[in-house]
Amino acid sequence: MKNPNTLKKKLASRFLKAMKKLKYKMSPSPPASIAEKKRRHRAVRAAAYASMASAVGPRRAWSRALLRKMKGRKRARRNPGNMNTRFGLNHLCDIVPGGEAMDSCSLLNETAHYIKCLVAQVQIMREILHSSSSSSTIL
Amino acid sequence: MSSRRSRSRHSGSSRITDDQINDLVSKLQQLLPEMHSRRSDKKSATKVLQETCNYIRSLHREVDDLSERLSELLENADTTQADLIRSLIMQ
Repeated sequence: MKNPNTLKKKLASRFLKAMKKLKYKMSPSPPASIAEKKRRHRAVRAAAYASMASAVGPRRAWSRALLRKMKGRKRARRNPGNMNTRFGLNHLCDIVPGGEAMDSCSLLNETAHYIKCLVAQVQIMREILHSSSSSSTIL
Repeated sequence: MSSRRSRSRHSGSSRITDDQINDLVSKLQQLLPEMHSRRSDKKSATKVLQETCNYIRSLHREVDDLSERLSELLENADTTQADLIRSLIMQ
């Protein structure tokens, strides 16, 4: 599995690039309406998942599923007659991207990787927030 | 929800052994945040999966909350430039 630091750096650089793009698209001065604030919120959230999916690329089933979703492609075929009802995996396959098409082993594997990426993404977002709020100077 | 999937016990994927599943489940347990019990305590597979679902949902909520705060941050001029440089230095 990839070195976690490499992954984090990749996630961070992609996410920051996406944030910059959003920044430039934003209309300045007038205070944003509530609808505009919601739109921005959704845009940042989409950027978070998009950076995760593109940083991992096609290497993982969950990231492939997210990338398909972003490109508006059809979902992968549901895995018919799978054993996901064992152990109560039926909730997990709805939560992990692409989970409905996976067999039990793949689902558990993919879940582990998905969690690691989510955790890294959350750390990055927190770090950006903290570094901004702690500084008083603007470069 | 379970009615969507057939509860068939046919052995279509019987080559996946219980041991493999248990091994993967215990790997998942390692990823869970320590809460009320030590991570090394052996938990039932069902419990681990339940907690895994809850953990992922809470991570999704965190991403959502942090996204909102970051979107408010974006409104302040030049912040993202500073973050970019600072974050790259932090690596």
